[in-house]
Amino acid sequence: MQIAAVGRRLCQPAAAACYRAFTLFTLDLHDAVASVSVGIPRSDHVTDQREEARSDDSGSQGSRTDESRSDDRFRLAMQSSGIGMAIVDVDGRWVEINPALERMLGYDAAELIGHAAAEFTHPDDIVMSQASMADLVEGSVAALDAQKRYLRRDGEVLWAHVNVAAMRDEHGRASYLIVQLRDITAQRAAEQTLRELNEALEQHDEQRSEQLQAINRQQELFAYGISHDLRAPLRAIDSFAALLAAQADQLDETGRDYLGRIRAAAARMSDLIDSLLELSRATRAELRLQAVDVSLLAEWAYAELADAEPERAAEFEVQRGLFALGDERQLKSLLHQLLHNAWKFSRERERVRIHVSGERQDDRLLLSIRDEGAGFDMRYADKLFEPFQRLHGPEQAGGNGIGLAIAQRIVERHRGRVWAESEPGSGSTFHVELPAAAMDEDEA
Amino acid sequence: MSEKAILLVEDNPDDVELTRIAFVEAKLANRLVVVSDGVEALDYLFARGTHAARDPDDLPSIVLLDLNLPKVDGREVLQAIRASERTRSLPVVVLTTSAEPFDVEASYALGVNSYIQKPVDFEQFVWAVKQVGLYWLVLNQPHETG
Repeated sequence: MQIAAVGRRLCQPAAAACYRAFTLFTLDLHDAVASVSVGIPRSDHVTDQREEARSDDSGSQGSRTDESRSDDRFRLAMQSSGIGMAIVDVDGRWVEINPALERMLGYDAAELIGHAAAEFTHPDDIVMSQASMADLVEGSVAALDAQKRYLRRDGEVLWAHVNVAAMRDEHGRASYLIVQLRDITAQRAAEQTLRELNEALEQHDEQRSEQLQAINRQQELFAYGISHDLRAPLRAIDSFAALLAAQADQLDETGRDYLGRIRAAAARMSDLIDSLLELSRATRAELRLQAVDVSLLAEWAYAELADAEPERAAEFEVQRGLFALGDERQLKSLLHQLLHNAWKFSRERERVRIHVSGERQDDRLLLSIRDEGAGFDMRYADKLFEPFQRLHGPEQAGGNGIGLAIAQRIVERHRGRVWAESEPGSGSTFHVELPAAAMDEDEA
Repeated sequence: MSEKAILLVEDNPDDVELTRIAFVEAKLANRLVVVSDGVEALDYLFARGTHAARDPDDLPSIVLLDLNLPKVDGREVLQAIRASERTRSLPVVVLTTSAEPFDVEASYALGVNSYIQKPVDFEQFVWAVKQVGLYWLVLNQPHETG
């Protein structure tokens, strides 16, 4: 809400006459525009130019009538206005009150007129109100547009959006103040509720963040516990089984088979613990984002696989210059998991064939890791990335079911996507979408 | 080859036994001294408490230190070793089950010479302990102290 125009000059010095009626101001109240015309009877001024024009036949009597009409129009406007309106003298006392304001404050006009507006102002807003009024009277501000609180008769607080304009005499001195008030108590209450809601939400967020930190910490301790306390007995199981196996001549074939099974089980459990730790790390480790050469990471991960099984015939092709924006350590783990998967499921092939390619689409890098291995049934594609879900048994080179879950966790943390397509018997392609690194001049 | 002791700070009796076997297999005839918590490790090194009768200048050739120990843990033991003038240059190898990056980083920050994660697999474990022994007791030229 704002005052669009504040009164025209009351007097025309050249004509030495004053208009009594003029448009004081126009109010723009979001959805309604109200023009307020007001005339104030001035005992020390005589004529209106229009009156002068007609004075020949109507004389001073005509002047009185016109003045009264002007007053009547103003009073009518005040009376019928839905907006609280008042005239206040320069000392801050109510002079006139309209019915809308009576209703807003809960007082009759008679109870207000002659009293200082400050008496009905909320104690906390009195100083601000009086200072603003002084500025207005003095003329340093043209009009006031503010929110302040009044006290209703029933003791409730009335929040009002207040517009005040000063009417000045020919010397520029303020004679009266025209006050318009709009009840914004409900609006303020709604704002307050919203604020409280936001604060409550913020507090809730803080609490949640604290809870998350506590959960993270717990997970860290849990992972640490797994790392230490679960591996130590496992080492004892494997080692003493190995020492027993060294005395194999005292065992029959069944006994040796059992020892072999004990050690194989210990190895699987060790592998599972490593994978769980890696999954936990992928979830909670802080990401350090930088431009990462994914092609290089793929070569590195492949080299590790080839080194571990040097007797395996393998072909590997990687497209150069694929850069992602990510955490190098985690992306290395991602490439390891995906290539390990491709390698593992190519076990039944004469040659392992893995092909890594990619393309940049705007600010995303689309990676494809293609193998010519066993493939999988697309009906189970949604189970691929869930921990402990296996599509292959151990005899089909099935792993511990965590590798692809780790891959997915890493991709998710990079706000990317991973999905796979396959045809049983002809291989699989894993697609990864990651944020691309700026690979222009900087990288060159 | 040095006749000095190898100090193993390890609270798990299985790991003590396996380390002993590994050293036997490695034919490293040094005396293996085993202490089972951080307090005893420091008592041994600084010749105090139950080890008060020891010659404080008779330091081991190497300390194999587990991190998770009762009473005073491995990090504190390492800190105390590096803080004392006499033990400052003593080779300390962390031999632990954890491969958590923060354990590795903390150990190096405290001045460990080497950090080895104990493999679960027996052959790998024996191989790792042998390598540590060969490197620090045979290959490495120690800093002469005292």
